[in-house]
Amino acid sequence: MKISKQAQRDAKQLFRACLVEGSLNEDRARAVAAELAEKKPRGYFGIMNHFHRLVYLDVARRTTNVTSATPLSEEARQGVRVNLTRIYGDNIEISFAEDPAVIGGMRVQVGSDVYDGTIRTRLNNLQEQF
Amino acid sequence: MSTLLEDIQAQISGVKTSVAKENVGTVRRIGDGVAIVDGLTDAMLNEMLDFGNGVVGLALNLEETEVGAIILGDYTGIAEGQEVKTTGKLLQVPVGKELLGRVVNSLGEPLDGKGTVDTDKTYPVEKIAPGIIQRKSVSQPVQTGIMPIDAMIPIGRGQRELIIGDRSTGKTTVAIDTIINNARANQRAKDDGDESYRPLFCIYVAIGQKQSNVANTIQVLEDNDAMPWTIVVCSSASDSATNQYLAPFAGAAMGEYFMDNNMDALIIFDDLSKHAVAFRQVSLILKRPSGREAYPGDVFYLHSRLLERSARLSEKAGGGSLTALPIIETQMGDVSAYIPTNVISITDGQIYLETDLFYQGIRPAISVGLSVSRVGSAAQIKAIKQVAGKLKLELAQFRELAAFAQFGSDLDAKTQAQLERGKRIVELFKQLQYNPIPVEEQVAVLWSMQNNFFDKIDVEKIKDCQGKMQAYLRDRKSDLLKQIVSEGKVTDEIAEALKTSIGEFIDTYK
Repeated sequence: MKISKQAQRDAKQLFRACLVEGSLNEDRARAVAAELAEKKPRGYFGIMNHFHRLVYLDVARRTTNVTSATPLSEEARQGVRVNLTRIYGDNIEISFAEDPAVIGGMRVQVGSDVYDGTIRTRLNNLQEQF
Repeated sequence: MSTLLEDIQAQISGVKTSVAKENVGTVRRIGDGVAIVDGLTDAMLNEMLDFGNGVVGLALNLEETEVGAIILGDYTGIAEGQEVKTTGKLLQVPVGKELLGRVVNSLGEPLDGKGTVDTDKTYPVEKIAPGIIQRKSVSQPVQTGIMPIDAMIPIGRGQRELIIGDRSTGKTTVAIDTIINNARANQRAKDDGDESYRPLFCIYVAIGQKQSNVANTIQVLEDNDAMPWTIVVCSSASDSATNQYLAPFAGAAMGEYFMDNNMDALIIFDDLSKHAVAFRQVSLILKRPSGREAYPGDVFYLHSRLLERSARLSEKAGGGSLTALPIIETQMGDVSAYIPTNVISITDGQIYLETDLFYQGIRPAISVGLSVSRVGSAAQIKAIKQVAGKLKLELAQFRELAAFAQFGSDLDAKTQAQLERGKRIVELFKQLQYNPIPVEEQVAVLWSMQNNFFDKIDVEKIKDCQGKMQAYLRDRKSDLLKQIVSEGKVTDEIAEALKTSIGEFIDTYK
């Protein structure tokens, strides 16, 4: 749906109001969504949609997906957590998943940053280079 | 076989397989050659983006939560949700002398079916223009072979001269004649082993034109043996707006190679009006704010950064030059429209072609009053300066008098003489298309006019007389023409020889 510029501006203002020390406060975000749904201000549907998108993008920026061929040991997971926290701070959520298609190694995606050490990708790169 | 094994081993050793950080995004919207991508937080302006399957795009819109990219190539295979990666590279095109004689698209890929272009050199499509200190003033001529231009609106190497006019007024013909004339001069110097002559390589960029027109142009260049000195960059009307937007920049990159390597090049943008339209389309689809006539706000910057890349460089900076002949099509003679005024203010002069003159039979239909070259006589050899110095003034006086004389009043002898002279100059300046006149023949013809040799020839016979005079000089007095070229000026000895030769010719002409 097309969201008007005014609705986008309002949603952005509401999103900024939900930030505490640079991070999104979940309680505030829930309160904003509930208030919009209840009071239904002018253009509320567009505002809510855009607010949802901004929250979605913020969550995506802080979400880390770690993909490996086989389940990682607790020690390996702890190592990943420590290293990622050191680089990106405490405010990230890390999830672990398994995908046999990667063959081996690990793929770590934090927002838009990807650290791809999987064997599948290395084989693909070799294929392209040859 | 062992060499093959060693090569493969070397390839394996050289292949990098370390883990590196990449920046990715997801396609949120795709259509009309434009993709909106979420993520790509590290994307930079004009960076190449990899959409997979060999499809690349250029990041043009960097917004807070998304990146707008134009797709180079087939965008129909891209789907929503597809992963996109940054490459860290700028768009580059192949450059070098290997491109001469070839017809390529905006990415430097061959279109002529003559195989791949064997060059390993590439230049970025977008590049910052040379600075002030790197430049040198324009002092060498570009001989177009079109007498009114070389005599009154001279173009120098490193200049930007706009060719502007309505549709079908001969704009492309002026450009093609220039290419043909320089190709002939290049070939002549090569055959004579003249090391002092600096050849002028030509690049013709066709933007948004019909493919039949481009094919005709290429055929004309081939028929006149000009293709070996020319690169044709073609982005026709059926190409995407992205390719039409990039074509002039790709051509400029190819020209910059010659400029940076102590060679001279000429680039023709045919035409920038269609280029502006393609840029408008791309910008509107990218949802950039539109301004006057729906063009984006930076349409001036589009052309200024393109044309500023044409320059003459000092020896230290490369020593070469890139001359630009941009073409703009006006509607109903309106030079005060948006895009024409933009480009007029950027270039170092304009050649204005009028429809009225065209249909009066004055072809090339150059309006001497409105045309100007801001470089002027600094770009003329002394010989032309000597014979063409007063022509513009004489023509201006003639036009004023002609308007006055049409009322049929009795005129004094001096006025009649001026009118007769003006008519003969106008006749002399008519020229068939694809028949450029070499500079030495121009000098001879204009010298004859200035010394009244054409006064006793009827106006209707001037063209015939001129043609035969040129043939006579080429066939019987080639040494005199060569002397004009080598001296570069009309010395007393040359003047005497011209007087004798042309006198002989006129006496026998019927």
